[in-house]
Amino acid sequence: MTVLGQIVLLTGKDLRIELRTRQTVGLVITLGLLIVTVLGLGLAPEGKLGGYAAPAVLWVAYLFGGVLIFEKTMDKERRDGAMAGLMMAPIDRGVIFLAKLLSNLALLGFLAVVIALFAIVLFGLDLSAAPGGFAGVMAMSLLGFAAVGTLFSALTSSTRLSGGLLAMLVFPIAIPLVIASTSVLNRLFASKPAAGDDGTFLTALGVLVAFDVVFLVVSWLIFEVVLEP
Amino acid sequence: MSVVLAASDTAKAPPPTRSLPAVQALEISKRIDGRPILQDVCIDIAKGRYVALLGANGAGKTTLMKLLSMLAPPSGGQLHLFGQRVTREGSPKLRARIGLIGHQPMLYGDLTARENLLLFGRLYGVSDVADRAEALLKRVDLAGRADDPVKAYSRGMTQRASIARALMHGPDLLLADEPFSGLDAPSNQMLEELLAELHRDGKTIVLAHHDIEQSLRVAEQAVVLRRGRVVVDRPTRQLDRETTLAEMTGQA
Amino acid sequence: MRMRVTLYWLATAAAFAGGVALLILYTPRERTMGVIQKVFYVHLPSAICMLLCGLLVFVASIGYLGSRRMWWDDLAAAAARVAILLGAIVLMTGMLWGHIAWWGRMRWWYFTPKLTFSLLLFLLYLVYVMIRPAVESPQRRAVVAAVYGVIAFLDVPLVWLSARLIPDPLHPVNEGMAAPMKMTLLYWFVPVGLMVAGLIVARFRLNRAVRERADALAGSAGGDA
Repeated sequence: MTVLGQIVLLTGKDLRIELRTRQTVGLVITLGLLIVTVLGLGLAPEGKLGGYAAPAVLWVAYLFGGVLIFEKTMDKERRDGAMAGLMMAPIDRGVIFLAKLLSNLALLGFLAVVIALFAIVLFGLDLSAAPGGFAGVMAMSLLGFAAVGTLFSALTSSTRLSGGLLAMLVFPIAIPLVIASTSVLNRLFASKPAAGDDGTFLTALGVLVAFDVVFLVVSWLIFEVVLEP
Repeated sequence: MSVVLAASDTAKAPPPTRSLPAVQALEISKRIDGRPILQDVCIDIAKGRYVALLGANGAGKTTLMKLLSMLAPPSGGQLHLFGQRVTREGSPKLRARIGLIGHQPMLYGDLTARENLLLFGRLYGVSDVADRAEALLKRVDLAGRADDPVKAYSRGMTQRASIARALMHGPDLLLADEPFSGLDAPSNQMLEELLAELHRDGKTIVLAHHDIEQSLRVAEQAVVLRRGRVVVDRPTRQLDRETTLAEMTGQA
Repeated sequence: MRMRVTLYWLATAAAFAGGVALLILYTPRERTMGVIQKVFYVHLPSAICMLLCGLLVFVASIGYLGSRRMWWDDLAAAAARVAILLGAIVLMTGMLWGHIAWWGRMRWWYFTPKLTFSLLLFLLYLVYVMIRPAVESPQRRAVVAAVYGVIAFLDVPLVWLSARLIPDPLHPVNEGMAAPMKMTLLYWFVPVGLMVAGLIVARFRLNRAVRERADALAGSAGGDA
């Protein structure tokens, strides 16, 4: 079986389990809705999210929702020792990482779309200036976030206290993503860019790209070394 | 029946004239968080041998099984499986020859028994997965419930599904860590026959089991662990229940 | 051994005293910022040492993941602890400096790029120290901490770049430094460096002793089980 086939097999297994139980998605969407509502009411009681507040509200929902996703998908492996079964199989351990990363990205992408729709409907989030740019920036950000989250979820799921611990580990690492993506989005949605913004814009994009590349490679490398049944 | 047990792609290996031992442990030790679990363990298991691993709770049986299944590396010493030195990760080729029935079922509870078998069979590259899964499900008496999710199973049924999973790829070395736990009398009988059949097919079996009499009856060689050390390594016919028990507790 | 340790700390204290004497007697007063500019001579060496501690955590973490020897973990933990101490010094001197030199009476904090970076760096290593006790098994703890130690250090340049993306509320002008100022700054790396090295070694020895004691206890208990 090819490596690609193995990845498809394992990711397909994760998604099939999720489609069957709908546990993770239900939980995560509910949490995201709560966060958007609470923060939205606090920041924009008149019902209009804009400026720096809009990406921040989305990011809080994505960060907490993401951590919950990473935790739940890895929990499925730990329960009943399925991870030991995968580790004994004659497949490269990088395959286990990539498959899990894809599953997490699929769920995270779904969460991102649903939460953005909530924000548009409830708080008049206006993406019409650059919908494609918004999607692209968020996709890039969530890719790096999922890479780090997948790695750390494999580490913490075998310890007690896994939930809070995972958030503690992933949030500080994800800070550059939040700042850089917010910066890019503000530039994309600004009506008239200020002078000297181009440098900032490129730096922010560079941070996003560098984060993705560095942490995809490093997480993939480290995952093999630290995986335990 | 033995057609079921020998996977088509592994059955072709001819018996070598002077074959390397299936398991060769040279003074392996294992420390977990500074605690010595295994110390200076030396074992030789020839290919095709049926070995009973005995020991009181906490003697290190499960840890030894973990090392043999390459799920954890030894802290010291050398471990060779089928003549190959085991490294930290173990090579995929070597992993494909080993099967483990462990304390945990190693199955996805949300998937059905059949889906689990197909998944693991495909990961091992088994060629006729569907037929093989069907045959194994029949063999462990799960054919009727094969399409129910595993989490709806009783303990005994889960255990039987786990046995089927471990045999999906026709391993040359089967590590069975308390495989009889949770099984009722008919299933116990079924598993005993199944293991005997694998043995006849030339597979190497390491069985850790708390029932001393049954262990001594079914296996050819007995290894007794006490506090992480091998205290007995002898053919089972030279042992009886009382001596074994005395060796396990150290009150000879 | 004890004698050498005492001598070492006496020398460090003397170096600090020398530094303070330099600040009072030798270093000129900065024209626009006044006396408070002198915290800079503590601020910058501390910041650089903090980054070096992060580097040490990174190296020790890779060492642990490669060899699985616990003393690498002792070293990484020691360096991280000193890093957050330095982070606290950097933040406090930075706040004091800004408060007195520029921001006026009511302001103790602005999200300037450098302060933001210092704060984020401080948080990064604070998490390292705080999560350690949350993992019970020492080996598991070492693995979790090592992975975090590697990832966190790789995150540092990205944090630095992203901190510069935040709109700067103030633009403090950095004037060139006079030769005596440069000399003082160079000198201050000596006491701070001595302190950092001493603290890391002391903490490393402590971590190692605690672990060896726990191992010995576990070993004897394991024998009885």
